[in-house]
Amino acid sequence: MGNFGQLMDGFAVALTAHHLMIMVVGVLLGLVVGVLPGLGAPNGVSLLLPLTFTMDPISAIILLTSMYWGALFGGSTTSILFNIPGEPSSVATTFDGYPLAKQGQAARALTLAFTSAGIGALTGVLVITLLSGWVANFALRFGAAEYFAVYFMAFASFIGMSGGSPFKTLVSMMLGFAAATVGIDTISGEARLTFEFDELIGGISFLIAVIGLFGLGELLLTMEEGLKFEGVKARLDLRVIARTVAEVPRYWATLVRSALIGCWMGITPGGPTAASFMSYALGRRFSRRGRFFGKGEPEGIVAPETADHSAGSCALLPMLALGIPGSATAAVMMGGLMIWGLSPGPMLFTSQPDFVWGLIASMYMGNIIAVVLVLATVPLFAFILRAPFTVVGPLITVVCVIGAYTVANHMFDVWLALGFGLVGYVFKKLDYPLAPFVLAMVLGDKAEDAFRQAMLTSDGSPAIFFSNGLVATMMGLGLLLLCLPVIGLLLKGRSATTPKDGAAPAPEGRSA
Amino acid sequence: MDISRSTMDIAAACVTAAVGAVVCYGATLNGIAWGASGPEPGYFPFYVGCLIIIGSAGTIVQTLLRRNAAGHMPGHADADSFLDGGRLRTIVAFFLPIVAMVAVSAWLGLYVGMALYIFYALRIAAGFRTPTALLAALAVVAVNFVIFEKLFMVPLLKGPILEAFGIY
Repeated sequence: MGNFGQLMDGFAVALTAHHLMIMVVGVLLGLVVGVLPGLGAPNGVSLLLPLTFTMDPISAIILLTSMYWGALFGGSTTSILFNIPGEPSSVATTFDGYPLAKQGQAARALTLAFTSAGIGALTGVLVITLLSGWVANFALRFGAAEYFAVYFMAFASFIGMSGGSPFKTLVSMMLGFAAATVGIDTISGEARLTFEFDELIGGISFLIAVIGLFGLGELLLTMEEGLKFEGVKARLDLRVIARTVAEVPRYWATLVRSALIGCWMGITPGGPTAASFMSYALGRRFSRRGRFFGKGEPEGIVAPETADHSAGSCALLPMLALGIPGSATAAVMMGGLMIWGLSPGPMLFTSQPDFVWGLIASMYMGNIIAVVLVLATVPLFAFILRAPFTVVGPLITVVCVIGAYTVANHMFDVWLALGFGLVGYVFKKLDYPLAPFVLAMVLGDKAEDAFRQAMLTSDGSPAIFFSNGLVATMMGLGLLLLCLPVIGLLLKGRSATTPKDGAAPAPEGRSA
Repeated sequence: MDISRSTMDIAAACVTAAVGAVVCYGATLNGIAWGASGPEPGYFPFYVGCLIIIGSAGTIVQTLLRRNAAGHMPGHADADSFLDGGRLRTIVAFFLPIVAMVAVSAWLGLYVGMALYIFYALRIAAGFRTPTALLAALAVVAVNFVIFEKLFMVPLLKGPILEAFGIY
């Protein structure tokens, strides 16, 4: 257990007063971001990123990951109390969380959600601890062709498993690639796709895209829906909390099933949103109490919450070990790592063990802090959310505008962000997935470099992608994933026009 | 004024296809062939552009097929509305002031822009009384000034007015 010793070293890094304080600040900021609709985890991390350039990398990444945990937890609060998901990934929590809260059991619903979320997150971190070193070692043998194959697999799985229209996923992803190529080409030094606009020479920052697509786009959507928060009163009683925590182990089957789904969906880039829906649907089918789902059934809260959080934390495993983020937020964080001069991937484990294991250790602490803080701040956030959105909306807008400016101190970036905002609004309403866009923007250069290097070594023959067992298997899996929608279509045949027997109707365009 | 979902689907796909065409054209400026030292810089973007066009075409075909299928069952998919007049007005009323704020900010600095925007949003859009809105606008400026200029040492765009007062 070499990992265990390194993890202990990691705790030594993470458990300083300074870092604990950073975790508390990060979790609190994350809760704000998670609770407010229009501010999501990817957007929040993007906004905070420019402010961390002056910090040392380990403090900065602890701040950003803590914010991520906070945002994941905060999203559940609004789902349960107001029936309004603060995050796309907590949509499934509204199905049973809100009914249970309406029955006067808000405290029980919240505690159930946070406890199972905490269990899910810790399972995810445990998986990271056990597997990341092994995966990184394995990946050390990769050449350019293998790397391209891994990227190919990641992108193919988005198209194959998106659930929506594969064409829309393809368009969204390729637009991300196109946006990533704008600017100076890293290999030849030529300016590409700039059309002689000086502002475009430096390229388009993925942070601008995230602030526009996720921030301003979501705000427009929220504005249009004319949100009114009519919530359930929540009084948290310590005895109720204790009783509910004691109740959680009874749902062990649901917990294990959901955690497994979450870990799988997090490592393969399915993401927390897909994981929570899948876990809810499977829970309804396989649980003995499945027929009570949707009427305030505790297991209906446990299932999506556990999966959501284990997927959320597992999404960081491929980011650290392979340099391939498993969710939009992980993609943003990975962009941050590159800005700090760290290159995510297997080399990080050997060159920066303090950083990697400090980060992993901080995940344990961060999630425990998040469970405590989220319970403690429920009354506060319930109060904040009673402010009308006509007041909260403009404030978030100002934050987004300032955030876009601080990325590189260019006003042009702010205009770009506005443009991305409109695109994000239209894309969300039309069910274009946005996560592949961000992923492609962050990974675009790296995927292209790997592709060109592989092609250079093989003199332009694509046979290099099938030259050995490893790379051929990965490319084959990728191709299979690409074909999944076609296979699904053939199997389903004519029944495709009838609505699927999924969970309760999800608000359209909310999946990210 | 009603925009149906399938109309919007097709319109969006046409726009993305046009973007794809622009990407392809831009790539040809860099050379898309296979040069002496491997692929030329436009090689990768050219195929990305092609895939955008293919994906957009696929979306258009899919939408048309669905619309035809829905034609047999009246009041189904085609009745889906993307946006109606009232909602469009809400969106425009929210978005135009943001555009105005950015324009003012580019000219007079971010602090002036955000103060005017918050004042407008609270006074006109949310219907607060003038003193309340004024106070809130000043508070937002003060909080942001402390956070960015003092705590994080990230200077925001000041513009001529603040500079006239000697604040850089």
